[in-house]
Amino acid sequence: MSFAGLLLAATLLTPLLMVAACVLPRFRARVFDLLALAPLPGLATALLAPGGSLVLAPSPLRIVLALDFPGAMLLGGSALLWTTAGFYARSYMPEQAGRAGFSIWWLLTLAGSFGVFVVADMTSFYLMFSLVSLAAYGLVVEEGSARAERAGFFYMVLALLGEAFLLFGFVLMATAGPAGNPLISEAVAALPASPWRDATIVLLILGFGLKMGLVPLHVWMPLAHPVAPMPASAALSGIVVKAGVIGLIRFLPFGQPLAEWGTVLIALGLFTAYYAVAVGITQQHPKTVLAYSTVSQMGFVAGVIGAGLAIGDAGAPLLAAYYALHHMLVKGALFLGVGVAAATGTGRQRLVMIVMGVMALSLAGLPFTSGALAKFAAKGPLGDGLAGTLATLSAVGSALLMLHFLRLLAGASKAAPDATAPIGLRLPWLATALASILVGWALFAPATGYAPSLPLAPDKLWAALWPILAGGALAAALIRWGARLPQIPEGDVVVLAERCAPAVLAIGSGAEALDRALRQWPVAGIALLAIVLAFAGALGVSR
Amino acid sequence: MADAANATSAGGILLVFAVVVPVIGMLALLMLRLLGLSRAAPVALVAIAGGTAVAFATAYLVIGTQSALVYVVGGWAPPLGLALRADGLSAVMMAMAAVIICGIALYARPQFDAPDEAPEGRRAFAFWALLLGLWSALNLVLVGEDLFNLFVALELLTFAAVPLVCLDGRAETLEAALRYLVFALVGSVLYLLGTAILYGQYGTLDIGLIHDVARPDLPTHAAVALMIGGLMAKAALFPLHLWLPPAHAGAPAPASAVLSALVVKAPFFIILRLWFDVLPGPSAIVAANLLALLGAAAILVCSVVALRQERLKLMIAYSTVAQIGYLFLMFPLTVVPGVPPWETIGWTGGALQLISHAFAKAAMFLAAGLIYEALGHDRMDDLAGAGRAVPVSLFAFGLAGLSLMGLPPSGGFIAKLLLLNAATLAGAWWIAIVISIGGLLAAGYVTRVLKRAMAAPAAAIHTQPVARSRELAALFLALCAVALGLVPLQPFGLFAIGRSVMP
Repeated sequence: MSFAGLLLAATLLTPLLMVAACVLPRFRARVFDLLALAPLPGLATALLAPGGSLVLAPSPLRIVLALDFPGAMLLGGSALLWTTAGFYARSYMPEQAGRAGFSIWWLLTLAGSFGVFVVADMTSFYLMFSLVSLAAYGLVVEEGSARAERAGFFYMVLALLGEAFLLFGFVLMATAGPAGNPLISEAVAALPASPWRDATIVLLILGFGLKMGLVPLHVWMPLAHPVAPMPASAALSGIVVKAGVIGLIRFLPFGQPLAEWGTVLIALGLFTAYYAVAVGITQQHPKTVLAYSTVSQMGFVAGVIGAGLAIGDAGAPLLAAYYALHHMLVKGALFLGVGVAAATGTGRQRLVMIVMGVMALSLAGLPFTSGALAKFAAKGPLGDGLAGTLATLSAVGSALLMLHFLRLLAGASKAAPDATAPIGLRLPWLATALASILVGWALFAPATGYAPSLPLAPDKLWAALWPILAGGALAAALIRWGARLPQIPEGDVVVLAERCAPAVLAIGSGAEALDRALRQWPVAGIALLAIVLAFAGALGVSR
Repeated sequence: MADAANATSAGGILLVFAVVVPVIGMLALLMLRLLGLSRAAPVALVAIAGGTAVAFATAYLVIGTQSALVYVVGGWAPPLGLALRADGLSAVMMAMAAVIICGIALYARPQFDAPDEAPEGRRAFAFWALLLGLWSALNLVLVGEDLFNLFVALELLTFAAVPLVCLDGRAETLEAALRYLVFALVGSVLYLLGTAILYGQYGTLDIGLIHDVARPDLPTHAAVALMIGGLMAKAALFPLHLWLPPAHAGAPAPASAVLSALVVKAPFFIILRLWFDVLPGPSAIVAANLLALLGAAAILVCSVVALRQERLKLMIAYSTVAQIGYLFLMFPLTVVPGVPPWETIGWTGGALQLISHAFAKAAMFLAAGLIYEALGHDRMDDLAGAGRAVPVSLFAFGLAGLSLMGLPPSGGFIAKLLLLNAATLAGAWWIAIVISIGGLLAAGYVTRVLKRAMAAPAAAIHTQPVARSRELAALFLALCAVALGLVPLQPFGLFAIGRSVMP
């Protein structure tokens, strides 16, 4: 086994072995304090083993791990955020009995999120995708309140629906592609010639788009992300949604132009980007606004991926991964920062607000931040047409939404006026914020192929800055006239879904009534007779 | 039929042992006093160990030689004599039954361990005797080659299974057992009627001989329809499931496990034999679709009903009815032009579904039994605290649920994948959609239990301790269901062994 292979195996096995070790009561009591250590092999792998691969089990099982460049970026970013969030959790979560249970969900989610970035065969990908999706449920309902229950219910229903879409899509790919358990790349190579190409792409977009929160499959996100404990929210919004991004990156065929499907994805993504801003500015809770911001940002990423698909640009996946990495760290820092701001007194808020301001506006492309770099790079595939213009203008929306967030945040302090947040919260938060900028600059050239001086040219700086100024003007208008906006509940259209509850219940009682009727002796007797006759008839006509 | 199939093969005597060893165990139980023993359980466990060894040896031989084991009773070849035969599917099912019986026996041992003279002793004796009798009958179903022989085996199975339902002697379980008995007998009458017609037509009841001469005419179709109809009633295929929920939910947990995991599979296995080996000519697609249609209705209706049950064991029983539906989906999926049915993905997926459901459902009923004992009830609304009381059982329940939901890694996942794959190839989109919806509904009813059981109880509850060995028995069977998820994702030869002599 090569060194890179060893690292890849350790990436997945470390968190899983920690879960297994929880059988021992002594380890179980301590596991919570060790959460920050679980992602370290993943971090080492991302730094040392890009390009490495490992066949864990030979054909026909064929479990293969491999780390390509997009996977390495997302693995490294998520390992960094899992580490800082793990440290943050130690200070944030109160001492209580339930911490071991929380730790197990945390480690399983972590293992699954690493898994989707490093596995190369279809079955393992599905396994890892299921793991990250389903284990995150435990993080959503951790609080145990009625609000968390409701969020958990919608999370679970939609996650399982997404699994069903994906499974069917994978089956179509496997049926059209090589037999057995193919590598993802082999199955994707066979996709353009598949007789079920369009059905497969629809199912993939539905399954992965649901995880990314593309409208109208986004409803779970504004419910689920805000109710989790702060470090878990950071992981959910920063990392778990990226399982959808890596899915689209890995499974869509970028080799040749697919104009229609690319356009569909662009339209879906950009609509999501605007829609989430429109709903987000009516929200009154900082974490909910951040969740809507994630929906909006993932819409943007879907737009980039769609543009790459439309023109057959094999470089677009890398740019999308780079954008996702930027969003991962920035959104992580923002969620962690909400906890810091809440624990900081109004008298000591200035430094916190400055850092949060930089992070928040990074999402709108503030010059010198990772956001400016990511948005600059994304302009390539989006081009200068309608899609490109709309994508540029979406930065105005992001700026507006983030200024709304900052205003809510400034009023969200729950501490005494001169209180400061514990160092255990501040350090991981600052480290994540700093990492977002450093990592963004360090990977800019390798990921995009542009010279690092390019985004610093005056015209580019202005191109990054004006949407923020425009967003500021809109934010001023929002303060002035915001009260006239309708109050939209968290999860917006989910309320419509809840109206269907009586109909769903009616189906249930209908099935029960049918079952009761069929279990009467006379009915069952007649049914038996009818089945025998029908069956004999069916056998006869088949000839 | 090839000559080789008519001669006893090396090791063919194992098939006789598979049927006889449990019977010897039963006889030993009857002579307990004479042997100077007071407990039935140890004697039964010895017989079960012996039977398991025979089942594994059979599977080993069949897989090792890649051909069916045959034993011609008394050296008289059919149609004069009787033949026993185990092909790949039979051998795998025998091994599966042995493993499940072992798990159930380990689980049941502390529960049915009263000495013969104690008031509980009769019940313990009855349980072990019935379990052995049922196992013998099941093995006979799996190796029988003669349609009347299969009828006898099926009757033995029913008469062993019915008393297991009412082992505790409560009025409601007696009523459930009676329902089961009456409906099973109606099924038997239909089966027997069909057998008589076939005998009148062909003068033999040996499956291999009929296969060679069967004509696609009205009497043959009527006979097969009568027999399959009767078997559907015994397999509780929707809408003929009236007897199953009360019977499986009312029986003691180990009995429920054996009923749901093994007993309903026997009539299904004979349906497979009739469909693939007796029916003449190319497969009948209209009739196949009719079977799949009933299966789909079972999945959709009974999964929804399972979702709304207020009692844990009733929920699991309805889940069984739904899961039986999956088995019937395989018939249209095995119709691939130019490919023998047992080399199709649909055949492999159906067989794997049968096996993984057996393990998962046995584990689930055993785990539910422990939850019942720990809490003193199985009301869905009051399951809170079960996770603390019997964590290992709940874990086993969850693993078994993984297989029922069709999530990886589990045998149920691979089975679902293969069936979806086959449905795609056949262009049967409606089957693929039903499979997907069924998985979602299963996820609903499994997570509903897990969620409630893992919640902390509102007030402190009093729980009874349960033996750790029993929890581990449930876990063992659940792990078997999960381990089936490691089989490779392609049609494999195992289920096709020994079938090519029946082209």
